Amino acid sequence: MHYVIIGGGIAGTTAAEELRKLDADAEITLISEEFHALYSRVLLPHYIKGKIPRERVFLKKETWYQEQKIEWITGEIVSRVDTKNKHIEFFDGGELPYDKLLIASGSEVKLLDQDVPGVSYLRTLDDADHLVELMRALPKDAHAVIYGGGFIACEYLNIFHEANIKTTIAYRGAHMWSRGISDEAGELIKQQLEKSGITVIENAKEFSFAGEKTLESVLINGQTHPCSILGIGVGVAPHFSFLQDSGIEMQNGILANAFLETNVKDVYVAGDVAEFFDERFHRPFITGNWMNAQMQGRVVAKNMTGTQTPFDLVSSYAMNIVGIEMIFIGDTSREHADATQVIGSVAEGGVTEIFVRKNTIVGAILTGRNNDRAMLTKLIKEKTELTDPAAILL
Amino acid sequence: MPRIRVKVDEDLCIGAASCVTIAPETFQMNAENKAYVLDHGTEPEGSKYERWMEVTDDELETILLGAQSCPTLAIFIFDEAGKQLFPDM
Repeated sequence: MHYVIIGGGIAGTTAAEELRKLDADAEITLISEEFHALYSRVLLPHYIKGKIPRERVFLKKETWYQEQKIEWITGEIVSRVDTKNKHIEFFDGGELPYDKLLIASGSEVKLLDQDVPGVSYLRTLDDADHLVELMRALPKDAHAVIYGGGFIACEYLNIFHEANIKTTIAYRGAHMWSRGISDEAGELIKQQLEKSGITVIENAKEFSFAGEKTLESVLINGQTHPCSILGIGVGVAPHFSFLQDSGIEMQNGILANAFLETNVKDVYVAGDVAEFFDERFHRPFITGNWMNAQMQGRVVAKNMTGTQTPFDLVSSYAMNIVGIEMIFIGDTSREHADATQVIGSVAEGGVTEIFVRKNTIVGAILTGRNNDRAMLTKLIKEKTELTDPAAILL
Repeated sequence: MPRIRVKVDEDLCIGAASCVTIAPETFQMNAENKAYVLDHGTEPEGSKYERWMEVTDDELETILLGAQSCPTLAIFIFDEAGKQLFPDM
């Protein structure tokens, strides 16, 4: 049996590790676009801030792959998957046959059209190394600008804030995560940013930057702002362009059933790129967080080796934004909720928004209300029916 | 039964809570959104980031799995002799 895994991140590597545990004799090939052994993307901000040394971001040693008898191919890009003849093709030529294929290709960071030294993205370890270098070279009176209003923008906020760099954040919406969180939560975050001395520019629909040899300024809605370093966090997109004409069904991600099997036999999916049928939430579900990717890596290995195991997880993601805590739990899609309800207020310094379907809480976003976490996670996990869901938090 | 020391570095913990999902008898989240350590679901001497406990081999396996799932490697496990079982040195 030859298992081939596209993607050397946490989903793909966890799957390889589990496959080896479940099948001692199988041939396992793990293909990674990056040259690094598995590292934690979640640890990159800690490394950039100097909280941990660079070597601590690695979760596997380079020798681990050989010890596990996993063929580890680095720096290779897959250009095509031929599901009829069961092989994959590489960008620079060459083919590799498979018996069972796992696609764990993750997501790609969205780039701006322009580029100039001083512009930073934050997805990979190489990006983090680049940012560390940029920050080292900054003048004393440096101005940092962040463009974006999501998770990566928050990481930049924390990084620049801790380094005492004068910072401006600009995002396209009326508040951060403009489609994702309530106006109250958005206001609470904005107040926290301004309290921390960060300049906030909302509705930044027009954004560009200037500088020939190096970054000099940004132009936001027609106004020029000085800028020595620019952090871009305008989102990510699942990476599956190499699957065109493969016959594999795709929507927002690669579609799969609850067992992480695609519509094509012997082709599986895990991690950020997987849009699997979530039996708990009764809908195709795609989520890009560490916990989800790692747990899917474990479950998909079971399914690939013949133990049918549905994927069932109430995943969560938490982050601190210059002192205020945000926690996302479960299904926080506005579009799929029957109703949403906000508990708490800006004046009280904390709001929790719950997402309800058929009298059951399916998701929640907590802003400055950590104490709601345990109870809400329990209610979501146990699918508890409530006549008045919001009353539980009052 | 093995006796182990389980420690959460609260400075590294970002509140992802994957440890709580995998090993809820050993890890829970506190008001600061940091994971703290329990002994078989109990908190003798109150909430703590570090404690000794006696566990079965199966329980140790679950606790190690919880530690491995931490995206910031904020959980440390030591055996009775003080040897670090996780993260692998």
